[in-house]
Amino acid sequence: MSPHLTFLVVDDSKLHHQMYELVFSRGALAGSTVLHAYNGREGYAVFQAHPELTAVFLDLNMPEMNGLEFLARRRADGMQLHVPVVMVTTEDSPDDERRGREAGAWEYLRKPFQPADIERTVARVLQSSVPG
Amino acid sequence: MTGDNAFAELIHEYVGECLPLAEQAADGFLEVERRWNTGRQVDDLAPRLKGLVHTVKGNSAMMGQSAAAEVAHATEDLFAALLADASQREPAALDLLLDGSNLLIELVRGAASGKTDTARVASWADGVRAQLAGHSAPAAVAPGASSRSAAPEAAIDTVRVDFRRLDALQEIVGEAIIAQSRLRDIQRRMAAHLGFTEETAELDASINAVEKTTQKLEDAVMATRLVPLSGVFGRLARLVREAAQSSGKQVRLETAGGDTRLDKAIVDRLGEPLVHLITNAVVHGVERDDVRRSRGKPAEAVVRLSAASVSDGVILSVSDDGVGMEAERIAERARALGLEASSTAADAIYPLIFVPGLSTVDAVSSLAGRGVGLDVVASSLHAMGGSITVESAPARGTRFILRVPVTLAVVRTLLFEVSDERYAIPLAHVVETVRVEDGDIHEINHRGVVLWRGELLPVVDGATLVGAGTVAGEPARRYTVVVQAGTRRRGVLVDRLHGHRSVVAKGLDPALGHTRLVSGTTIMGDGRVTCILDAQRLVDPLPSHASVPN
Repeated sequence: MSPHLTFLVVDDSKLHHQMYELVFSRGALAGSTVLHAYNGREGYAVFQAHPELTAVFLDLNMPEMNGLEFLARRRADGMQLHVPVVMVTTEDSPDDERRGREAGAWEYLRKPFQPADIERTVARVLQSSVPG
Repeated sequence: MTGDNAFAELIHEYVGECLPLAEQAADGFLEVERRWNTGRQVDDLAPRLKGLVHTVKGNSAMMGQSAAAEVAHATEDLFAALLADASQREPAALDLLLDGSNLLIELVRGAASGKTDTARVASWADGVRAQLAGHSAPAAVAPGASSRSAAPEAAIDTVRVDFRRLDALQEIVGEAIIAQSRLRDIQRRMAAHLGFTEETAELDASINAVEKTTQKLEDAVMATRLVPLSGVFGRLARLVREAAQSSGKQVRLETAGGDTRLDKAIVDRLGEPLVHLITNAVVHGVERDDVRRSRGKPAEAVVRLSAASVSDGVILSVSDDGVGMEAERIAERARALGLEASSTAADAIYPLIFVPGLSTVDAVSSLAGRGVGLDVVASSLHAMGGSITVESAPARGTRFILRVPVTLAVVRTLLFEVSDERYAIPLAHVVETVRVEDGDIHEINHRGVVLWRGELLPVVDGATLVGAGTVAGEPARRYTVVVQAGTRRRGVLVDRLHGHRSVVAKGLDPALGHTRLVSGTTIMGDGRVTCILDAQRLVDPLPSHASVPN
């Protein structure tokens, strides 16, 4: 069904990276390529180099460059604006979600998440990024 | 617990990532406590601490570690409440906060094993709810104030009571028991005078009913005074971390039985001895990691603390996998102090470390792997009607076993009489009472012994023991009360036995002369003050003059 999917995960938690890896290697999203970055700065460098990205999962709270700074930089640079960015926030933080959307995030994913939450988010991103 | 979770296979990664976060949070809260206690601000610490706990909460939830997630969540709430309202920063609330962060460490660490001390989590969470409810109650009255929805619920089935009120209640129950035993005394005398009549039988039945009710009342009051040991355990986990850090060792504290419940008065008094024993275990008991490696032991030393309820109280055990004790060093030191240390059997030598002056740091601890002030530990346990014993294996470790009663207030005792004076001894320490006939008492090495169940039991005359002075004429004791504390037994020769009695223990009157063997006093039905004997002291090695009755 799906074309080959490539995701970038920008998160400072090794555990979260492994969780994404699990989700993207099984079930509906099996076979996806996952790129990893452990802070915003590193993530932005990978992001610049990969126009083929299906979506970016961008954690809000990170050292070096946080998620909002990442998005502000992208907007300022006009970089890869076609790539959907999913802002990963924690529960009970509607302000973060609003700020994320204002800064250019397409979707948001709330922690704590389960595999189905990631799969649903990807489905929404794919829908909204396909014209028509 | 993690079986159904999609991320279950990442459990070790979860522990690896979250344990340091939980530990940093616990250290942070410790600093918060320090600052608040000295009236300083924590603004620079709070955001990071919140973040740490929040991350652990989120990860725990994703991993299906619901207990850890719940504890992290409640810790967040409690911290937020304390940040918002300085008036809530009372010691009990800060303890809850620190206990929570320690509990979180344990839950994360134990996540892979799937074992969760649910009772401890529940009792801690109850404490937090009560704390939050206690302070948000006025807010709930104010119109429009929407505090947490959990608070009013918790307020319905929990009331906070000043502990002094429970003490007062216990005091009243004690008075009722004394009055009732006075009543029983009178009834017995009446029955003796009048023989069996309808009235004496009725009186007997009525007093029986009162006794049963009083017993129920006593049990109910007792139940309200019981608190789990987990609070003390939590503080000890921090202590171990700090002591290990400052002595440059790797030590892990493992606890079990934190949900064991005891009278708060006992729990409060257990804190000091446990701190003492655990500090000793970390500082003097276990080796540095390099030494441990060279001895083929895991680099990380383990100090274990466990508690369990038994029929007559609670047994606590503090053990370590360190150097153990060197019996010979202890024996040398004991002989230098003029103590009897002729036997080389470890069983006979190890108890000597509880004798005042023996466990001094220069003399024993560094060499024998045991710390200071164990006599202090022993006497505080005796003072609460408990006991302490020790076992040790060189190079393998040491274990202290503490026995404490569930409550201080009411003690089941055996009453006996020596030279017209009555004494009570806690029933928990009485093995048996035996009739003695003329010629049953033998003298070996100027000490009296009787043959009891095939073994030679050292006996002492009750009068000598309790300082009643020498009785003119030939004392003709008729019973031996076999007393046991730890592994030691001793027979006490007495004149008469007066049966079992639940007595209300009162403190010692400092004016009382002979306090060494007396742990407390009680008031009998006839109004007489009776001494409660300290079983541990009774079986301790004696000065040589207290020996054979004749």
